[in-house]
Amino acid sequence: MTDDIIDERELRELEARVRKLPREIAPPADAWAAIRSQMGASESPSLTRPVRTPAFWQRPAFLAAAALMLVAGSSVITAVAVGGRNRDVVDRPAMSAGQVTPASSAPASLAEFTAIENDYISTANRLAAMVESDDTQLSPETIAKLKESLRVIDAAILEARRALAADPANRELMEMLSTSYNQKVDLLRRTTEMGRS
Amino acid sequence: MRPSRVPMTGSVLAAALVLFGASESAAQAKLNRGLPLNSDGGVRIYNNVGSVRVIGWKRDSVAVRGNLGKGNSIHMGGGKGGIKMFIEGMDDRNPAPADIEVYVPAASKVWVKTATANVEVTGVTGSLDLYVVGGKISVKGNPADINAEAIDGSIVVNGSPGWLRAKSASGDVTLDGSSQDVTISTVSGKIDADGTGFERAKFETITGAIRFAGSFRRGAHVRFDTHSGSVEIGMPAGSPADFDIVSIAGPITNKLTSARAVKGRYGRGAELTASSGDGGSRIEVRSFKGPVTLLRLE
Repeated sequence: MTDDIIDERELRELEARVRKLPREIAPPADAWAAIRSQMGASESPSLTRPVRTPAFWQRPAFLAAAALMLVAGSSVITAVAVGGRNRDVVDRPAMSAGQVTPASSAPASLAEFTAIENDYISTANRLAAMVESDDTQLSPETIAKLKESLRVIDAAILEARRALAADPANRELMEMLSTSYNQKVDLLRRTTEMGRS
Repeated sequence: MRPSRVPMTGSVLAAALVLFGASESAAQAKLNRGLPLNSDGGVRIYNNVGSVRVIGWKRDSVAVRGNLGKGNSIHMGGGKGGIKMFIEGMDDRNPAPADIEVYVPAASKVWVKTATANVEVTGVTGSLDLYVVGGKISVKGNPADINAEAIDGSIVVNGSPGWLRAKSASGDVTLDGSSQDVTISTVSGKIDADGTGFERAKFETITGAIRFAGSFRRGAHVRFDTHSGSVEIGMPAGSPADFDIVSIAGPITNKLTSARAVKGRYGRGAELTASSGDGGSRIEVRSFKGPVTLLRLE
């Protein structure tokens, strides 16, 4: 199928652009100016003015907990992908691999998906570097077959990513992309384990 | 083709086995050795090239037979709780094939790793962990659970494991039997599953075709994911199932019930919500552009 042929250079460029995307975006400069002017206009020094209690979500403890959750959450993919390297026996039914991921766990927004995607890309890049390192015990034929499978996955990712760019609210596409990224990371992880010395 | 050099946990394992075990001389091509093992003991087998045949039997011991191959040695040792063995080639880059048969207690836990060697397991009721790069994995019987992984080798399971996870990239995966809990994943390999009793199942591929024929338990949750491979689900008429099918750009054909696909919620593609029988099993299908077909099995 011709539309399964990947333009690898284009994908690499896309991945590089995604990596450069900021994790957060500062408000526009004129927003602060407007806020300051409003603050200045309403400033009427009064010793009796009550001190405003910050909202619960502005409190340091809450912000610290949120930051911890963000860090922990974004590390999950890496931990899942790389954490199994030294295992001899896979997790058994107690952590069922066949358990179907509920749809509610899919990224809720493009921003959330982009953050997850960044983690997938960095994990995949790290694993790919391990596979191609001088330490690998895999034959060139195996590496070639692996690369062919990776090309197939990358082509699917590129195609779905283009569709998502045209339809950024489509959660089904985000879910499909997550599945493809997951397969890529899993394939690289398995190959890394096969070639482990 | 030069076989992949799957490592054997290095020289540490070799040294350990030499200390407490024994190794057949390289000059000996025929193999016939045995060791005692508890009925639920563990067996680890490494053989890069050739074949590994594991047979479950009723005895509390392990017997190894076969042809070592020219220049190869077998290192083997352990206690009643667990045994390890590996075939070592004289030329690590171009080893001669070794074809071994390993008889193990039926309830033992078996772990096999190869490069291009085929792995065949029959009659084992314990756990199986099977890893190949390019060889074929074949399992017959009803193990407690199976984890089978390949890069470009195929995987065939005939039987009813309690739990199955089978993954290959370009190899095909075939399941003929039943299992409560299944994950089958490929990149371009075909997935072919025939059976009943599925309770939790996940079939995923990128470009490979998925064919399912059988039925699900009431309350089951099953998911099919594909990018461009076709998905064909065949069930007997009246089998309980609630379908939720979404395709971004591929067609959906329903020959199982009277429901028809409608245009997708995002303004393109197609979606189908349909129930068969009394419903009660949740079947989700997600396809980017692969055709999805529901079929009625006679």
